[in-house]
Amino acid sequence: MTTIAVVTAGLREPSSTRLLADRLAEAVRKDLPAGSVELPMIDLRLYGKALMDATLTGFISPELQAAFDTLTSADGLIAVTPAFNASYSGLFKLFFDVLPLPSLDGMPVLIAATGGTERHSLVLEHSLRPMFSYLHAIVAPTAVYAATGDFGGDGNSGLSSRIDRAAEGFVRLLTACGPRSAPAPSGGDELDQMRALLGGIPKGNNPN
Amino acid sequence: MQFGIFTVGDITRDPTTLKTPSEHERIKATVAIAKKAEEVGLDVFATGEHHNPPFVPSSPTTLLAYIAAQTERLLLSTSTTLITTNDPVKIAEDFSVLQHLCDGRTDVMLGRGNTGPVYPWFGKDIRAAIPLTVENYQLLRSVWDDEVVNWSGKFRAALQGFTLAPRPLDDVPPFVWHASIRSPEIAELAGYFGDGFFANHIFWPPSHTQQQVELYRQRFSDYGHGTPQQAIVGLGGQVFMRPNSQDAVREFRPYFNEAPVYGHGPSLEEFTRETPLTVGSPQEVIERTLGFRDYVGDYQRQLFLLDHAGLPLKTVLEQLDLLGEEVVPVLREEFAKGRPADVPDAPTHASLVAAKEAKEAKEAADATPAAEKPDTATTSEGDQA
Repeated sequence: MTTIAVVTAGLREPSSTRLLADRLAEAVRKDLPAGSVELPMIDLRLYGKALMDATLTGFISPELQAAFDTLTSADGLIAVTPAFNASYSGLFKLFFDVLPLPSLDGMPVLIAATGGTERHSLVLEHSLRPMFSYLHAIVAPTAVYAATGDFGGDGNSGLSSRIDRAAEGFVRLLTACGPRSAPAPSGGDELDQMRALLGGIPKGNNPN
Repeated sequence: MQFGIFTVGDITRDPTTLKTPSEHERIKATVAIAKKAEEVGLDVFATGEHHNPPFVPSSPTTLLAYIAAQTERLLLSTSTTLITTNDPVKIAEDFSVLQHLCDGRTDVMLGRGNTGPVYPWFGKDIRAAIPLTVENYQLLRSVWDDEVVNWSGKFRAALQGFTLAPRPLDDVPPFVWHASIRSPEIAELAGYFGDGFFANHIFWPPSHTQQQVELYRQRFSDYGHGTPQQAIVGLGGQVFMRPNSQDAVREFRPYFNEAPVYGHGPSLEEFTRETPLTVGSPQEVIERTLGFRDYVGDYQRQLFLLDHAGLPLKTVLEQLDLLGEEVVPVLREEFAKGRPADVPDAPTHASLVAAKEAKEAKEAADATPAAEKPDTATTSEGDQA
């Protein structure tokens, strides 16, 4: 079974960000063998207070921890945010700020964003892609941006075909990467360093 | 099992009276709290070490010696002594003098402190935190354990023919605990040396503490100091009590909400549900604390944080009364039940002296040539005849 976590940072209900996330998830599902994929949805709006608590005090609520566990153990990620002031939303960033560091190591990611006008579409390239690169994820080359106009009109804006093309590329990447095992929790470097250092000194006065 | 309190030494405004104690008031209050701890029958008082406002305890052995002079039984410790930024030679000297003054009623808990900027204040480089921890502790051990020290390292001038003055009391250095909030490498260090491991146990869910203690017990055993169950474990804890549970919650809530470490974050209810913080009746504190054993095993030392977040001295002393009169006697009795015989108590000066004497006696016996040994078998047969 392949698990692809879907993280969405839409704020309202209904939310166009959530809508885009649903459509991407559905397109990815269609490209994988029937019944072989799970797409757990992590709707960040539900974790707003928990994310702020974690930022201010380091306290991770059990619900937030469960979301971290879902994401960390997934084979891939679909991440969708609204574009605010030329970047991702604060809620979206908060989640990845408090997510323990190695969680996304080597994880294929499909990035997408929504916004008022198509003029903000490069937010995907100058905000989302560098952040996920920093987190050592593998970002699929094709990302999807949907402006408000894409959801209106006669549906001929090409959004559906962009979604299908992005999903196809993402599934190819996912398949090439194969199943993924969750990375070891952080602190490993320090622990390794300590072990290496201790290997070089004599034991203390404990004779046992 | 040892029970006691540990203090951070913070100066925090009382959110209910808007009064902020002066440094002088806070230091004097700390002494009153320590004396009260002994009066109500607790075993241990430990002070933090901080070098910046709003904290007062920058010179722990000065404080502990002053308390030692006014107490009889209380074991004096730290929570923690900064192994990274203090000169290990100076740590050894300070604790040697303290040991002599208080007749061995001291041990030491080593840690790395809570703030990065402290490193440059003492001429150290935070990027070297882990190598500094190892090198400084190695030197501290050497200064304590070896009468004449020849040593060189990367972070400090070499020592040639150095002898600690005064030597530790009875030539037995204070027992060492290594304390950690969430650093697995500290569990590794404690396990390597067979020293004690103290888990802060305050800010995160029990699963964090459980993982750390498990790692420490395993490494203690791997490095040949005994079985995992024989490792020396201490836990922090945080309580606020009133005879009536609802009164405790009502009274503590404003302090919790404004507390520098977790205020303006999770609610009191969330924090008490997900971390070991217990706010309620003494009976609730007893039940919660007994539950710690379920995830760390039988352990040796339980310290509570009582005097923080701006709680006034009078309230802290009342907490100590409840702890000493209603909670700790029950905990002593209950923790003793079902405790395996091979789980040791926390080492004390007396037990370390006894262990040293036993070891020396055995070495002397082993060194004596067989021919010179009294033939006990023959003597005993002769007696029977």
